[in-house]
This record gives sequence, structure tokens and C-alpha cells, in this order.
Amino acid sequence: MAPPARYCVPGSAGSGHCGRGAGEGRPGAVRSLGPPGAGPGRTAPWQRRPLSPCPLGERLCSTEEATAGSGTYTRHGFIFSSLAGCLEKRSEDSGLPVVSVVRDAESQLLPDVGAVVTCKVCSINSRFAKVHILYVGSTPLKSTFRGTIRREDIRATEKDKVEVYKSFRPGDIVLAKVISLGDAQSNYLLSTAENELGVVVARSEAGVQMVPISWCEMQCPRTHTKDFRKVARVQPQFLQT
Amino acid sequence: MAAGRGEAAEACVGRVVLPGDVLLLPARPDEDGERLRLGAGAAPRGRLLCGPGLRRCVAGLLVTKCGLLRHRQAGGGGAAGGAYWVDSQQKRYVPVKGDHVIGIVTAKAGDVFKLDVGGSEQASLSYLAFEGATKRNRPNVQVGDLIYGQFLVANKDMEPEMVCIDSSGRSSGMGIIGQDGFLFKVSLGLIRKLLAPKCEIIQELSQLYPFELVLGMNGRIWVKAKTVQQTLIIVNILEACEYMTAEQRKQALAKLSGH
Repeated sequence: MAPPARYCVPGSAGSGHCGRGAGEGRPGAVRSLGPPGAGPGRTAPWQRRPLSPCPLGERLCSTEEATAGSGTYTRHGFIFSSLAGCLEKRSEDSGLPVVSVVRDAESQLLPDVGAVVTCKVCSINSRFAKVHILYVGSTPLKSTFRGTIRREDIRATEKDKVEVYKSFRPGDIVLAKVISLGDAQSNYLLSTAENELGVVVARSEAGVQMVPISWCEMQCPRTHTKDFRKVARVQPQFLQT
Repeated sequence: MAAGRGEAAEACVGRVVLPGDVLLLPARPDEDGERLRLGAGAAPRGRLLCGPGLRRCVAGLLVTKCGLLRHRQAGGGGAAGGAYWVDSQQKRYVPVKGDHVIGIVTAKAGDVFKLDVGGSEQASLSYLAFEGATKRNRPNVQVGDLIYGQFLVANKDMEPEMVCIDSSGRSSGMGIIGQDGFLFKVSLGLIRKLLAPKCEIIQELSQLYPFELVLGMNGRIWVKAKTVQQTLIIVNILEACEYMTAEQRKQALAKLSGH
């Protein structure tokens, strides 16, 4: 009697056999998940040559065989790919090899919680400011992400007296810190509630770059008009004394 | 007409200036183009006020609107060095903070009313911005109502915000404009003329019939008299005032009061 379709750890001796069992699809039997990608004549994905194409959602292997790297996630004791790209298996010195899926030759740098990002203000509101994230740390991003700086996250002190119009204007370059990745619909949530965060570059109405004169004011060198901004303090390592 | 290089500002006062003209200001000895004076000091002595239609540039003042150049001498003892501005005709209204305007309610969105004030964006008005309004005691505002209020926030980067109370919390004449009456639009120059103190037009009209009048800086006027006919007569006179001389206006009013 043929063994019923059941879980098989890929790479084990019976993988081919189980594959055939699953492929037949016996009527009435509960169709359990066969070995990933297994079927007659197919090899498990992680045994293929490195950097082979890998579709989205493919189950790669179990967590006992390898650890999940970037571009993958674990569910029910198995590792699935969360990107459509190339499968990469790296062997670590300690413990299991690391399986990851990469989209391009170099991996996309995603802003993480606590990272300092450089962004450009695109629109302001009385409650928040919308920004485009251009750089993460000192690495430029290939495609800009969108972020939001809420009114209460602009300053650390006197949060209810903050006016967004006196802190940012559209077109300003701002250093901010990521405080939340947001949901599927919402953008990254950013904060400038530190001395070293805030507006770095701003242009006046005359189109000239303004000079900061205090933590809340900038002055245009041509028309000498003062504008309010939440100015970032220069970090001590960049000051030349 | 100012030359391409630039003419002295004093010479152009009272003349027509066009956008792009550069008006030269007399050079001040203590001003240094290279260095920027910082600090919390007050405006330097003899500082010029740059009014609507003008912008500062490297050489002096750059004209951005066409019209007549006006100048006001410095006030006695004041630190200001006088003001220059351009008197121009305009029909399109640009929201300015502190202006009193008449808005038409177009939508109610949660706690906020959206008003059409004739600008590029609709203004928002919170329901708490009325005198005596609380969360329980909401004002009775419907779509299509007329509201007389002032701008709290008005700049080119954000949508304008209106309120119907002043800084002390009193309405001082602002709020929902009552039923009946007639709303019409005129140019901004006529509104400024009507709002001048001791305006002759208003005084002469009040001799004719008693009426209620609300003037909005966005070019909108609301009139209400006892009968519809009287209201329409006042509306027609106000609209025609823009192009009538004082003599013609007196003749027209004399003809009407004779009837």
C-alpha cells in the first residue's frame, strides 16, 4: 500500500518518493503539503545553484535546515520567501547556513526604527508634515519612501505650542529619525524631537539658501528677512574648532 | 516708465510701474552688502517697509505687480524709514492673515466646515470657532450659509483657516450672516475704497434708504434693505460706483431720491 502523502523533510532519502505520492493526489486523502517544489524530477530550491530565481511565497526549507535571512520569513516551522528574486544561501561559521532572497545585485536598504534619515518636505498641514525620504544614513535610496512628521513629534519640549508652519516649509531638507514603520497604508513615522534633528537646508522666498542664527530662526543673506524653522544643531564631530 | 537698469524710487512715486522694474534706493552708509548683521536687535534706523507689489532685491526694490507706486513718509519719531507700495487693480483674492471675508459654506466634514472664499483653496472653519460654542452647543450652520469671519492662518503653503471670534473670544460682528439679503462680487479696489473711514459713497447711500451692509475683503458684499426693490437699487449703485465719478454718483442718487 502506497504510503499516504505526508510531510517529508527535503533532502531526506524519501523525498523523491514522497514527491510522487503527493503528485498523484489520491482521492479522499487530505492533501498535505508535500516537500516544497517537489514533484517528479524537481529538486528542492535550496539545493539548486546559488542565485537561482525564486518566486514569491515559495516555501524554501524548514527552520531546522537553515536560518531565515533577508527577504524571507518563517511560518509554521518553515522558511518562505517574501520577495520575488534570487535565492542565496550563505554558510555561516556557527550554526546553520543562512537563506536569503535578494532582488537586485545589492540589497535595498530599508529605513529601520531608530535610523536617522534625510528627507525633503513636500507638503505641510496644521497637523503634520509629509516628507520624501531620500537618504538612510549616508546611503542614497533608489526610490524615495514617504514619511510623516506629526506635529507632536517635531519638538521635545512644549509640544502643544508647536506650529508646523514655523518649523518646516515645503522644499526644506530635514534630518529625522524613524520612530515607526507604519501599517500597510500609512507612511513611515518620523520624529525631529532632538537637538541634532531638524531643518538642515532651507531656501528663502528670494530663492537663496538661508543661514541659521538660532535653533528656531534662519535668516536670508540677501533680503535679511528672518524665517522660523526648527533648525538642527551641527553634530560636534563636524564642527571645526 | 522705469528704465531697464533701474530708476530712483523717489522719482517713480505716483507713476505707473510694471513688473520687473528695479527701483534704486539711496545707499546707506552703514550697510554692508557682504556682512550679515545678526542678533536680536531692532530694525536699523531708516529701515524701509516693503509693501504689497514690491520685493527686496540686491539693487533695491523689485516691482512684482503693475500699478501706481505710492510712498508714505516715516512717522514722527518712529524707527521706520517710510513705506513704498504699489496700488494695483485686482479681482482675484489671495488670502491674507487677519483679513475679514465673507465665505460660503460648501461642505461639513466632521468638526470642520469648508468655506469658499474666492481663493485658490477652500478655507476651513472649526465649529468651535464661534462665540459661545462648545462641544455640546454647536452652531447651526448649513451648507450654503454665508459666514463673516477673519483668517487665522493664511499662507501659500497651507490651506487657510478661518475663525469667527477675535483673540479675546468675542465675536465682534463676525458669525453667520442672516437670511435674505443679496450677495454680489466687486473688485478689491472698490472694497478698499468703501472700507476707508468716512467713505462718501456709504454716507450718501444711507441718506437714501436704511440698509445693512457687510463688506468682505475678498471682493464680496452683502446688502439687505427693507424691500427687494430697495436692495437691488443699492446693489446696482455699489456695482456702478467703481466706474462713476463723484458727480455722476450724486446725480444718480438725486434722481432716485426724487422718485
